[in-house]
Amino acid sequence: MQNLGLLAPEIALSLLGLGLMLADLLVPAKASKLLYHFAWVAAAVALVLIARGLSVPGGLPAGGGLWVVDAMSQFFKLAVLLSVIMTVMLCLEYGQLPPAQAGTFCALLIFSAVGMMLLVSATDLLLVFVALELISVSSFVLAGFERSNRKSNEGAIKYFLFGAFSSAIMVYGISLYYGATGTTRLVDPASAGLWLPALQSQGPVFSLAMLLILLGFGFKAAMAPMHFWVPDAYEGAPLPVTAFLSVAPKIATLGALARVYMILVPAAGLEFTTLLALLAMLTMTVGNTVAIFQDNVKRLLAYSSVAQAGYILIGIVSANALGLEGVLIYSLVYVAMNLGAFAVVQAVGDDGSRGGLGSYELAAFDGLAQRSLSLALLMTLFLLSLAGLPPLAGFIGKFYLFAAALDAGRSASGGASPAVFYSLAVVAVLNSVVSVYYYMKIAYHMFFVPAPSGTQAPALHAGPYLYACLAVAAAGVLYFGIYPDPLIANVKLSVPQLP
Amino acid sequence: MNILSLITFLPLAGALLVLALPKEKERAVQIVSLLFSGLALVLSAALFFYFDRQTSDMQFVERLPWIPSVGVQYFLGVDGLSFPLLLLTTLMTFVSLIASLNIKNRIKEYFFWFLILEVGMLGVFAALDLVLFYVFWEITLVPMYFLIGIWGGPKKEYAAIKFFLYTLTGSVFMLLGILAVYFKSSPHTFDLLVLLQAHPTWDRTFQIIVFLAFYLGFAVKVPAFPFHTWLPLAHVEAPTAVSVVLAAVLLKMGVYGIMRVSYGMLPLGFQWFLPFLVVIAVIGIVYGSLCAMAQSDMKKMVAYSSINHMGYCLLGIAGLSVTGFAGSVLEMVNHGIITGALFLLVGVIYDRAHTRDITAFGGLAAKVPVYAGIMSLACFASLGLPGLSGFWGELLCFVGAFPRWKIYTAVSVIGLLVTTAFFLRMLEKVFLGPFNEKWKDLTDLDARELCALLPLVALTIYLGIYPKPALDLINATVGHMAGLIK
Repeated sequence: MQNLGLLAPEIALSLLGLGLMLADLLVPAKASKLLYHFAWVAAAVALVLIARGLSVPGGLPAGGGLWVVDAMSQFFKLAVLLSVIMTVMLCLEYGQLPPAQAGTFCALLIFSAVGMMLLVSATDLLLVFVALELISVSSFVLAGFERSNRKSNEGAIKYFLFGAFSSAIMVYGISLYYGATGTTRLVDPASAGLWLPALQSQGPVFSLAMLLILLGFGFKAAMAPMHFWVPDAYEGAPLPVTAFLSVAPKIATLGALARVYMILVPAAGLEFTTLLALLAMLTMTVGNTVAIFQDNVKRLLAYSSVAQAGYILIGIVSANALGLEGVLIYSLVYVAMNLGAFAVVQAVGDDGSRGGLGSYELAAFDGLAQRSLSLALLMTLFLLSLAGLPPLAGFIGKFYLFAAALDAGRSASGGASPAVFYSLAVVAVLNSVVSVYYYMKIAYHMFFVPAPSGTQAPALHAGPYLYACLAVAAAGVLYFGIYPDPLIANVKLSVPQLP
Repeated sequence: MNILSLITFLPLAGALLVLALPKEKERAVQIVSLLFSGLALVLSAALFFYFDRQTSDMQFVERLPWIPSVGVQYFLGVDGLSFPLLLLTTLMTFVSLIASLNIKNRIKEYFFWFLILEVGMLGVFAALDLVLFYVFWEITLVPMYFLIGIWGGPKKEYAAIKFFLYTLTGSVFMLLGILAVYFKSSPHTFDLLVLLQAHPTWDRTFQIIVFLAFYLGFAVKVPAFPFHTWLPLAHVEAPTAVSVVLAAVLLKMGVYGIMRVSYGMLPLGFQWFLPFLVVIAVIGIVYGSLCAMAQSDMKKMVAYSSINHMGYCLLGIAGLSVTGFAGSVLEMVNHGIITGALFLLVGVIYDRAHTRDITAFGGLAAKVPVYAGIMSLACFASLGLPGLSGFWGELLCFVGAFPRWKIYTAVSVIGLLVTTAFFLRMLEKVFLGPFNEKWKDLTDLDARELCALLPLVALTIYLGIYPKPALDLINATVGHMAGLIK
């Protein structure tokens, strides 16, 4: 095995995860908070390790071509680890997790993160598959972690069934890929680090293989019409898990998808652009239109996350440098704004478990501005960023993605016609308008509706870790929104040269 | 820090300070807001004396790289087109804040949002980079949503979200337009001044499509027929001071956008659209005034009269002449001042009587003489009586448009007549005739209201008798602009 050292963060994290699992036996339930602290510190250490080695020139292939460590993969790893840290912060404040299983919980979180880190580095379809399964299996358990909650069970089962189904499809696709090309590699081992310039076979079998693999990715990233497990799984899962699932697996999958479909598919001369563009439009539109009708904020944000994946897809469809940069930028800012929004939702919802008024229904947000103006303003900030209003980070992300679509339309040569890209941009901007409607519905409840009378609407209790999470998110949303240049400069270095 | 940045971001500093104050300290919140907004007013008024009236170039320019990787700059500057509007913004916001001192609930939030709104409006007029322009443009939406939605009338939530979605729909298309010109220009740039020079190489189809994208954004804001339906609702539901800035400043952003961006940057698209623009202007003038005539709610009437007056501005632009452009800019400023005063006055009577129904009053002139006097003055100014400021703007718009659009201009004179009719009818029903005993306890203007109104009244009379100072600011720039299209 060559360059095993490049996998050091993943290996270290896996070992720590195993340790955490055992720790359940040794650490008494009373001290379970310790394990959460251990988990976020571990993730933070991995984050620092990766950030230090960020300036990888070109890319370092490893494992005989199984995976590659390049700036793009490291960027996604940073985003994933950041979301792990923020999720653990949320867990520290979340009341409904059984303290006796804190170690298991943290271990699963870490394992799933390791899966994502492998996924964004994978250059071999088998490793892609194994990584996806590592993510999925951990996520299934995490989603069902509130065992006494029937919704949690239901969501986990649905998630599991559809997940297993999509894995099967994907594995079939991979086997066809092998049949067509005689390899499962995505790179040519001989010219290490370079993407396979031309594939041996470009026949229908190969096309079908790529299509089935796309379907597999589609399930994992919750693209419409493969999104129907999302609302139930997200609604049932413990809130920090929902927050995590709506962010990390999604961006990791889209990162891997970007690698496969922006680099491999054009190189193989396949024409998937129109199909992907249609998927993106459908994903945005379905996510946004269904979100309008939700009364449960968890479900609302679940559908909104479907729509958000659709925006990121624009970058992949555009298949130009701007698009890839857009995917990276949007992924990172999406971590900040979505986790921030979920943090506020948790502050409101968890209030219920403490005997307050809270729940995840929209009505629980009534009069939040009077109960805690800071939380209401922060929530507004995150929602407006999700909607893509300047000068917030979400705007910069969307700006890049829309620009990518227009640029792709301008320079479209052969293949998909410019009209595909232009209509993609138009559909995307119209969708942003629709999304404002339901994001503002939450703002409406927070600011316009008075808190329920009778009860002396108590001030919200939100602990220090939740505020830490909010602070990180808000700082990210504002900083990257107002001064995005450092982020953009980093991203420009991170994207590989497109063929 | 350059003077324009200082003016633009003073209200932001005020807003952050307000946010940091505890919400019980209501007096402090009000003082801080007035202080910061007042400082912005003083500084912009000081610029009035430093503004070079001979040149059409941008002044007080300030240029910094902001997102250099995509060529976005922090680029501010004003010329004869934007400077009068900048002055109008600081003045009207300050006046509105004085008028807002009677807001009773959630004072801290109110002033916070109001100051943020001022930042957005000032930025729109000062920005010379299209992305920066767009950022400021969008910043105005959010505070407006909350200001209408929290402190507004009975249907406030509906009005707020309608306003938000309408204007956002327009502006996202503008964003696509901005991106389109960015990619079309070579080297790629968002610099408005560079883009204004770049158009000769752009083909006509491209210009038309992009023009339409920008036009959607601007027309909703103007609001031009048929995108005007959000306006009466937003006006009627909004609290008084918000109606004032909405009419006085926010609508001007649309006309300003058409003049600054669409006209200069996309001349072929503009010429293609010109026949439609003049029709839209005439519809705005005639239809707006007829709608106003049909209202018995005073606020709605003034709201529709705004659509009518924005029609004059569009007509002036469609004239493509120095006179027309100057008239358009002057009309924007005058309409801002006069309609601001009208909304304040309507607010005053609503505060006291809790109704705005024209037919509910009668003979008030004897009871509240000062109020009646100022109201009559504002109405006469709005309908364009010579000697008051409204007259000059309208006159120049008509004179500017006449050589090119004789019949349309003639038709739009109907709008003038109807405007006169509905203002006179309102004055008659409210102030003349037998006194309605129901209002025997009505009190005249108090000190706060007078403080807000008197500067506007003074300007209305001053600019009515002597419009030269305002025209001097405008002329060099519009003279240059009119030369761009032959």
